Amino acid sequence: MIELKNITKIYEESKESSVTALKNINLTIKEGELVVLRGASGSGKSTILSLIASLAKPTSGEVVVDELRVSKLFDSFASAYRRESIGMIFQKYNLIPSLSVSENIILPLVPLNLHVKEVEDKLLSVLEKFHIAHKASALVKNLSGGEQQRVAIARANINNPKIILADEPTANLDEKLSLHFIEILRELKRDGKTIIVATHDPLFFDLDIVDRVLEINHGVLL
Amino acid sequence: MRAKINIYLLEYAISSLLRQKFKTLFTVLVLSALIFLLTSVFFIANSIKYELQSTVDALPEIIVQKLGGGRHYDIVTSAVDEILEITGVGSASARVWGYYYFENAGVNFTLVGIDEFEEQYKKSFAYAAKELDFSRPTMMLGEGVKSVMDKNYYKEYFNFIKPDGTLKRVDIGGVFSGDTELESNDVIVMSKDDAREIFNMSENMATDIVVKVANEDEIATVASKIKLLYPDVRVITKDDIKISYQNIFDYKSGIFLTLFVVSLFTFFIIIYDKLSGLSSEERREIGVLKAIGWSVSDVLKEKFYESFIVSFFSYMSGVVLALFFVYILKAPLLQNIFTGYSQLKTSFTLSFVFDMQTLALIFFLSVPIYVAATIIPSYRGATLDADEVMR
Repeated sequence: MIELKNITKIYEESKESSVTALKNINLTIKEGELVVLRGASGSGKSTILSLIASLAKPTSGEVVVDELRVSKLFDSFASAYRRESIGMIFQKYNLIPSLSVSENIILPLVPLNLHVKEVEDKLLSVLEKFHIAHKASALVKNLSGGEQQRVAIARANINNPKIILADEPTANLDEKLSLHFIEILRELKRDGKTIIVATHDPLFFDLDIVDRVLEINHGVLL
Repeated sequence: MRAKINIYLLEYAISSLLRQKFKTLFTVLVLSALIFLLTSVFFIANSIKYELQSTVDALPEIIVQKLGGGRHYDIVTSAVDEILEITGVGSASARVWGYYYFENAGVNFTLVGIDEFEEQYKKSFAYAAKELDFSRPTMMLGEGVKSVMDKNYYKEYFNFIKPDGTLKRVDIGGVFSGDTELESNDVIVMSKDDAREIFNMSENMATDIVVKVANEDEIATVASKIKLLYPDVRVITKDDIKISYQNIFDYKSGIFLTLFVVSLFTFFIIIYDKLSGLSSEERREIGVLKAIGWSVSDVLKEKFYESFIVSFFSYMSGVVLALFFVYILKAPLLQNIFTGYSQLKTSFTLSFVFDMQTLALIFFLSVPIYVAATIIPSYRGATLDADEVMR
């Protein structure tokens, strides 16, 4: 379960140019839920994802995931938490273009220094699951947008995390590829993962797999 | 079982360097060039210092030269017997030596005359004395002289032109080598009689007298006694020569110091550029890596591998190139700055001096500084909130 308790986030608080991204947010997301955060650009959707992933610390309040106060974690614990519990899918995929598909996918495993066999097993499993095994050795920069996104999803799932955070996942995809992405989400939900999608793409708002659509505007949850 | 070195992290570091291949190549080239220059300077300086030190060590404790009007004249050999009576003097011998200008090559040879049964004041002359045939005019040549003679087709003998214009044929007996190249390169060793004939010097005269003193503490006392005995002589001690050599060396090393400062200055510009921060692309990459589960220490480890590979590779390339340049190619251009005073202009091989201190100094001046200059901005980037990649 993910809990955001009285969260306020102000960027560059000490400066005149400070920006209040979130104001007193309270939110609970149950395990296995698929929640869509809907809002315009700059409304604070991505900030919520950052806080849940412990990529940023709230100015006040706390984030609790499965009874772990992730907003208070030191760097090494926060990175271990992200590695084990969070899979992130970015709008621009954030892949490394000059690396191959396989090399990109195993990046979250690199710090673990696992045995080669273990890495290969995990890699093979996600390559097959997301239908990109045939492109395993291709360079990412030579792939289409849809293929790149599947690589990003495979990377997010290599550690089999409980929570998937997707930030504007269809912003760079055409309708056909967006629908394909939704099919992947359906599969992930079926696997019991908790999924939070930050988007302003209307395609998500009436989906049967979506449990809740939450509207956010100027940092306030409506 | 986990390996101690994270191979995946190492692979990532290498791929990261290859990703920016032009930047990496440029950095490696500049660093290697700087390290090469510095190492070459140190290698040459060490070799020359070694040569000079060995030359000085081989010198007699005292040299006595007759002066007239401030100029050097030949000295009577009978002075040797009087000097030998001074307490503390171990041995004294009259030297016959001088310069011979070989017009064809435009170089000066140093001619040294030795006696078959005399105790030689240099080890190399003792070797030459054994090889030399004193029954006929023969000579032993230093490496440089031999090379010049070969180039001018003097393979078996050489005709010296005496002051009266007549020729003196001397056969080439072989090549001798000194303790150092500087010491023997331009030297020709022959019998004293032959040398006197070439210099038109009478039998009771010598160029100077060398004196050996058993106890080093007594050198100054013996020198002053000689000076009292012969007011018209110049008494040169080993320390005087050492100072004179050191002055030449220090003056020349000033040029090298300039090179050293320029190299350091360039290196620190590179370091300053690295310290001034990460590019937006690098910051974004660190953000992505953190977002997918890398900790600050993982990022720093990867940056350590990257910078270590670049700097260590540059260090090794620079050192190996310097070894090749100095000891195989004989340091063209750079060597001439130091050895310009040599009587013989022919090239000579610098003695190989392996000095761990020099290599360690250059290592610590380059590798750790470069690694630190890479890691510090990466640490700054990695400790910032990584949510920038989400926005």
